[in-house]
Amino acid sequence: MIGGSKTPLQDTILLPERIGDLTGLGEFGMAGELIAMFIAAFIVGNLMLAMTGVAGPWAKRKITAAFTDRYAVNRVGPFGLLIIVADSVRLLGKELIIPENADRPAYDLAPIVVAGSAMLGFAVIPMGSGIHLADPEVGLAYVFAVAGIASVGLVMAGYSSANKYSMIGGLRAVAQNVAYEIPLVVTGMSVVIFAGTLQMSEIVAAQAETLITVGGLDIPMWYAFVNPFAFVLFLAANFAEIGRNPFDIPEAPTEIVAGYQTEYSSVYFVLIYLGEFLHIFLGGAIIATIFLGGPAGPGPAELGIVWFLVKIWAVFLLTQWLRSALPRVRIDQLIEIGWKGMLVLAFANLVLTAIIVGLLETDLALSMVIFA
Amino acid sequence: MIGLLKSMAVTMKHALDGNKFTVQYPEETPDVSPRFRGVHKFSQERCIWCRQCENVCPNDTIQIVTDDQRNGEQYNLHIGQCIYCRLCEEVCPVDAILLTQNFEFTGDTKHDLVYNKEQLMSVPWYKDIDPLESREPDRGGWIGEGDGEVDYQ
Amino acid sequence: MSTEPELDADVAEMSFEDRLEALVGTRVLERDDHKNAPGFVIRPDDVQDVLFDLRDEAGFDHLSCVTAQQYDDRYESIYHLKQYDDPTREVSVVVPTSTDNPVSQTAEPVFRSADWAERENFDLVGIDYEGHPDPRRILLPETWQGHPLSQDYNQEKPQVVTLSEHANPLQADHKDTETDTMFLNIGPHHPATHGVLHVKTVLDGETVVDVDPDIGYLHRCEEQMCEQGTYRHQIMPYPDRWDYVSAGLLNEWAYARAVEDLADIEVPEYAQVIRTMGAELCRIAAHMLALGTFALDVFGDFTAVFQYAFRDREVVQDILEDLTGQRLMFNYFRLGGVAWDLPEPREEFFEKTRDFLDDLPHKVSEYEDLIVTNEIFQIRCVDTGILEPEVAKSYGATGPTARGSGIDMDLRRDDPYGYYENLDWDVITEDGMDNYSRVLVRMGEVEESAKIIEQCVDLLEDWPEDDREIQSNVPRTLKPEADTETYRAVEAAKGELGIYLRSDGTDKPGRFKIRSPCFHNLSTLAEMTEGEYIPDLIASLGSLDIVLGEVDR
Repeated sequence: MIGGSKTPLQDTILLPERIGDLTGLGEFGMAGELIAMFIAAFIVGNLMLAMTGVAGPWAKRKITAAFTDRYAVNRVGPFGLLIIVADSVRLLGKELIIPENADRPAYDLAPIVVAGSAMLGFAVIPMGSGIHLADPEVGLAYVFAVAGIASVGLVMAGYSSANKYSMIGGLRAVAQNVAYEIPLVVTGMSVVIFAGTLQMSEIVAAQAETLITVGGLDIPMWYAFVNPFAFVLFLAANFAEIGRNPFDIPEAPTEIVAGYQTEYSSVYFVLIYLGEFLHIFLGGAIIATIFLGGPAGPGPAELGIVWFLVKIWAVFLLTQWLRSALPRVRIDQLIEIGWKGMLVLAFANLVLTAIIVGLLETDLALSMVIFA
Repeated sequence: MIGLLKSMAVTMKHALDGNKFTVQYPEETPDVSPRFRGVHKFSQERCIWCRQCENVCPNDTIQIVTDDQRNGEQYNLHIGQCIYCRLCEEVCPVDAILLTQNFEFTGDTKHDLVYNKEQLMSVPWYKDIDPLESREPDRGGWIGEGDGEVDYQ
Repeated sequence: MSTEPELDADVAEMSFEDRLEALVGTRVLERDDHKNAPGFVIRPDDVQDVLFDLRDEAGFDHLSCVTAQQYDDRYESIYHLKQYDDPTREVSVVVPTSTDNPVSQTAEPVFRSADWAERENFDLVGIDYEGHPDPRRILLPETWQGHPLSQDYNQEKPQVVTLSEHANPLQADHKDTETDTMFLNIGPHHPATHGVLHVKTVLDGETVVDVDPDIGYLHRCEEQMCEQGTYRHQIMPYPDRWDYVSAGLLNEWAYARAVEDLADIEVPEYAQVIRTMGAELCRIAAHMLALGTFALDVFGDFTAVFQYAFRDREVVQDILEDLTGQRLMFNYFRLGGVAWDLPEPREEFFEKTRDFLDDLPHKVSEYEDLIVTNEIFQIRCVDTGILEPEVAKSYGATGPTARGSGIDMDLRRDDPYGYYENLDWDVITEDGMDNYSRVLVRMGEVEESAKIIEQCVDLLEDWPEDDREIQSNVPRTLKPEADTETYRAVEAAKGELGIYLRSDGTDKPGRFKIRSPCFHNLSTLAEMTEGEYIPDLIASLGSLDIVLGEVDR
């Protein structure tokens, strides 16, 4: 039952083509295809923005409040949902204050780079229900690459703000991202070894098979179950990469005020903040795709997007749970954990995975017997 | 690692038990103790204009104006300047000034918080708690037996 | 008393005071005994000499307070010395200086705590301390004209300080090739300074090279306000406003104790029990807040521990509200007792208090799960912000800060007051000297306070109804004998809170000096944090548990 159909996803049509077919734009050659692509990108972009920019902050408040025995927003609209509108008006209506000594082009570009890099990542994520913008053969590498651009945005923000707290925050962000990008990618590599491909749809498809059947319940071959060690490692590296507790060192409000975003206000602040939320959700999307079977779940394949969103929100919930319970580590401890711990473990995991996969492939029939 | 998991278990337990400790203020009015000290109430009928409250006040919150016959003319109290120490009530020999439980007052400027004697008289009781009653056991030393009903309105 | 064995027989027969006098010897100009301690008047250029002798020969290793005041004919600095081992042993060293040339030798080489104390005296009273390494103002701005507590200071005259006389707080960035350090202002507006504290920090990368706390943003000249109030009524509301985070009753006790000592006021036993119970409730509330804000500094957001601590503190606040009528600014103590008996119906109050005490172990175990055993919390706090006991003593650190460094001093036990000596409880000390120990000390003290409250509740429940005297008979206008002086301290939430009082024959004090524990604890910050990382600076600041209202007064 789990995993819906066994049809590999690459057989389904990507969203731009589908839009092209539906609207007839596909018949207008290149120009039509281009327009169809824009429409598709617009839809996906708005979906993600609605989730992160609109639902995210509201949900974050509610979740944090639950952990701390409070109510959070409950005055404006049902469940306080209209606070989103009020917040938008408030944030957009504020004066945009730009520090006198700000390094202008960099200062203006940084919020866009931060938010944009995360948006780009969603392009190759198969979200189920046919929502999949592009499916390049190097999908996973592409996601890591564009997500990594955010570090540049953060250091731009930190450096150009002409504020010492921002500066420290920016430097911390870079040190942290460099230290954790490598374990992150190396751990991701172990999945690639399993799946034998970098293409996102293939990785998802590879997880559709049944790993083991317990009491009539099929446990799918999600890589989180196949290699829980890599999953935990990837989660930890991901939290450091997106700067969430216990690794929220670049912001560290009690130490360096707000790190690289100290000097940002109004629309720029919204963009930076949005970028952060997008990165949390992009991190969740990557985890869902390469470890949790992407859009797979019980029920018809059309429900794919629902399952996909559930998985992303589960990761988001986890970030908030950790935030409530774990202190922040210190920057030197973080770097130490990154270079001396995570990196070693990531490579160990990679080597082990390679050996196991090698063994499995030489004796596939035998392994099938064991797993069955 | 065990410690981390224990911490996470504690917060999750709190998240799941659904207990909230926030008081949803305007709908749910907080319970204040009978001894709570809020805005003053003043009774001109009882006041003998002895000025003890004015003298004892640590930060000159009370201003009393009398004519040359020592008849009271004004009784002004800056409730924004008051530190709610209750010394005025404590020294008053006739219970002419007392602190109600009422903490709900606003003003647009600090001048709005200067109450004259009419405003002080019309301060409402909070949840109909009569503070005099709750503090009575301790007041014998100052006033002895009261003389009849206290009328602050 | 390390020198005791060396003293020969006839010296040992002498009283403690006489031995002290013999030690100071010819340097004593005259005796000026205070109510609490022998006082020796010495010459302004003998200060270091005498203090060194008293410290090294007589074991007075705690410079508790340095009071300065102006008389009509002289200025006077008083060094109140104590011993960490036995704080009941006190001695006052009185150093008069002339009015036209108020110069006195600094005590800074002997006690580091004199550094800030003498700066404050210079700032407020105007005595110059010769040889002081850092003779700046401390509470008032550098541009302030005059010394507010000196007699020729004109209170009416506004302080007109032109803008040009102010040093520009935003100096241009200064770069040179020699150094690669960075100057960073932490505060006065910063999420982790617990009020308006300004820490001038020099950083080398993430490492703290130099720390200079700049205080005084919350200075209200509480000492002068108290000097203008009458003993009987008007001063009592003010102590609530020093350490204003729910430690009010502890502060009030400091004042009450000093005046009761000064004017020989008896306090009924029943009132003492109520005082003890109320004070310990305050201590729990204050320590809960300390725990919550420290967790806030280390965890980083207003998250679980902070909120849970506040929720638990709320219960204490409700009990205190029932008892005193207010949640923070209690004004509950009176000279010779308390304002009110327990609220009626008493059973309800006892039940409420007992419920709280019954719930407490469960809550404490929750905190243990959340922070004490949390590995990340441990790596953040263990071995950071080290404060060696010798350094702590030299800086006059007291309270949980000192006890976290293994200094076994608690005035409730060592200099008993109230009802503490009749109750069964322990002083908590930890030997870690780090941030973690200070947290453990506070958590341990919460449990000890709960023990004390429980015993008090038991006592109060069985107290015979006809013996419930809450206030002794104190005259309406209290005029202690002129020129009586006393320095009395209690164990407040942050440490030794002392009051020096001098009466001048009127119903208002002639000099009212506050020895603030936070003030002296904060002065250890530089020792704790230099060479550590910024996050440790923040954590150490949090672990000191300062309240700026008490630092600046």
